[in-house]
Amino acid sequence: MSLDGALWPYLLVILAGFLPTEIWRALAVVFVRGIDEDSEVLVLVRAVATALLAAVVARLVLLPPGELVSVPLAIRIGAVTGGFLVYLLTRRSVFLGILFGEIVIIAGAWYAQ
Amino acid sequence: MIGFGGLCRGVDFPLGAALLSIVLVWALPAQVLLVGGYAAGNAAPVIALAVGLSSVRLFPMAAALVPYVRGQRTGIGAQLLAAHFVAVTAWVEGMRRLPKLPREVRLPYFLGLGSLLIMASVVSTLIGFQLASALPSWLAAGLLFLTPLSFLIQLSNNARDLVDRLALVLGLVLAPFIAEIGGRLDLLWTGLIGGGVAWVVHRFVKRRQ
Repeated sequence: MSLDGALWPYLLVILAGFLPTEIWRALAVVFVRGIDEDSEVLVLVRAVATALLAAVVARLVLLPPGELVSVPLAIRIGAVTGGFLVYLLTRRSVFLGILFGEIVIIAGAWYAQ
Repeated sequence: MIGFGGLCRGVDFPLGAALLSIVLVWALPAQVLLVGGYAAGNAAPVIALAVGLSSVRLFPMAAALVPYVRGQRTGIGAQLLAAHFVAVTAWVEGMRRLPKLPREVRLPYFLGLGSLLIMASVVSTLIGFQLASALPSWLAAGLLFLTPLSFLIQLSNNARDLVDRLALVLGLVLAPFIAEIGGRLDLLWTGLIGGGVAWVVHRFVKRRQ
């Protein structure tokens, strides 16, 4: 059986993209059967998910993809810290925090050109 | 997802397959690995392994969310569908909003939220695919930075309890050290150690009260 080259990317999405991601979601559904939503196990699971996502944030800032590499590390850390501080200082405005961090990173990328 | 569209264009990954990956995979890091692996000409099982390892985080995320949308008679199919919509933004928003809603509207609410986010991602990938090389580098950098910046602020906005705040801080602080030790599972280890320590502290504080 020969695979049509044009169809290969679509097949790859299903075999190497959909299946290995969906398995974790499906296992999660099975795992929580019979576990109450106020259970301490779920507090632990939520804490693990939160720490994992925080690690994703740290990695994207420290080892950034694409065009971000050209922006110096100090500016990347400054932008994410600055955005977070603005979020705290504006009584937890998600929008203003993200806006400030974006202004810093875009200015930094402009400067680094 | 504008950045994802640009990436696909850059490596000649077809637009249709890119859009299909949004609907079926719905996890940006996994999609980037998939397209990157395709571009590098890696064999399908190698790509599948990398994608599978990078997606372990979906397990705790879906496990934490599904009990909120589940009712007495919610079928397994509906739960699987809800779990499919779990990705960072949908998870963060769902975890914040669902507990405050009456149980009977939670599932339709979350499915609506997830569909909306997928549609928005399809549109932004289309835009990114078309614009690809036309974007100036400073704007491309700004778009890429939206991911970590908005993740962090949204996560903080959700972390109102001690256990979540501790997990967030520990994840940020431990990540560079655990990445230094190496291995492909460093993110998972950071999650398990950071989340585990946060939970132990939470149990200890609760017991003393």
